[in-house]
Amino acid sequence: MMLSESLRRGLIAVIVVVTLSACAKPAPLYVYGDYSESYYRQAKTDNEENRLKLTESMEKAIEKADKSRSGRVPPGMYANLGYMYLKAGNAQKALSNFEREKAVYPEATHFMERMIAKVKLAEGAKK
Amino acid sequence: MIGFKRTLIPLLLIFAGLTTGCAPPRTLVSKAEKFPQMYVEQPRSLLVLPPMNESTDAEAKAYYMTTVEMPFALSGYYVFPVEMVSDIMKQEGVYDTELLYQLPLDKFYEYFGADAVLYTHIKKWDVAYLVIASNLTVSIEAEIVSTRTLAKLWSYTGTVVVDLSGGNQGGGLAGLIASAIATAVNTASADYVRYARVANSRLITSLPAGPYNEMYLKDQNDQIVDQTPKQ
Repeated sequence: MMLSESLRRGLIAVIVVVTLSACAKPAPLYVYGDYSESYYRQAKTDNEENRLKLTESMEKAIEKADKSRSGRVPPGMYANLGYMYLKAGNAQKALSNFEREKAVYPEATHFMERMIAKVKLAEGAKK
Repeated sequence: MIGFKRTLIPLLLIFAGLTTGCAPPRTLVSKAEKFPQMYVEQPRSLLVLPPMNESTDAEAKAYYMTTVEMPFALSGYYVFPVEMVSDIMKQEGVYDTELLYQLPLDKFYEYFGADAVLYTHIKKWDVAYLVIASNLTVSIEAEIVSTRTLAKLWSYTGTVVVDLSGGNQGGGLAGLIASAIATAVNTASADYVRYARVANSRLITSLPAGPYNEMYLKDQNDQIVDQTPKQ
């Protein structure tokens, strides 16, 4: 008694479905876009171009926050973006992003206030 | 009957092989049983410190650091910006990760307002060259410690081993040379990062969900693999 061709095909189909579904993932809580890739590239080669690309990735992730399950910008993203601006010498944009981080995530309040005070102090010293 | 056996047995073997491929049989334990303090203290924020590199690859630290924020944020925690935290510690005079890992935990609460600190150790980040095959291994050990009670709330290890031989062993000597070249090409740093992300996702499965995830305080009964070494 040979196993019929259709039964054999059925068994193979079951194997494929079980294998694939075992590793399926739910929709993401936050939209990161290509932030992680850009971050890695910048860590590998820290130059102007890669820093700019990383900044753009963060801005895009922030723009697309409403496409995520939470509707929020990922934790730390405003802070990271503010820090990129701070390193690029744009204190005003740094401050506004630190403020946003604090507004979205109260857990960041203590740290962001410390950063805001630091930036303001440094800016005051310049004048 | 013989024909039936001849078809079914290999199929069943393949099936068993495939299903256990993701998770070999191991002892399971619930999240609440394994990490009860996570549910008691309910930390909201994690301060990710730069990784401690215990591997042979000097670059592993900088590269691995780029992979940590995302998975821990996605599991529902407020994750402090990794790069900023690392730079600030340097500004405060702590350059050495070993020193950083020895700092009293209340300092992190005082400075950042973090509920808990995430320590990560890169245990392995290398390629082992064998006679005809080679394996890439990324292994990460992670732990979360409370800044309030100093209790270890959670710890887990994620390991990924990838066979780089590509499965094509035909063609005798020419095949061997070809696979050796393929191995060299295959092990760019980008691959390590890719598999580090997989190792992270394995770690994360055991972590109780944080306050920004829908599963927060609802996953106590989720079963995870118990990594406690057998006595």
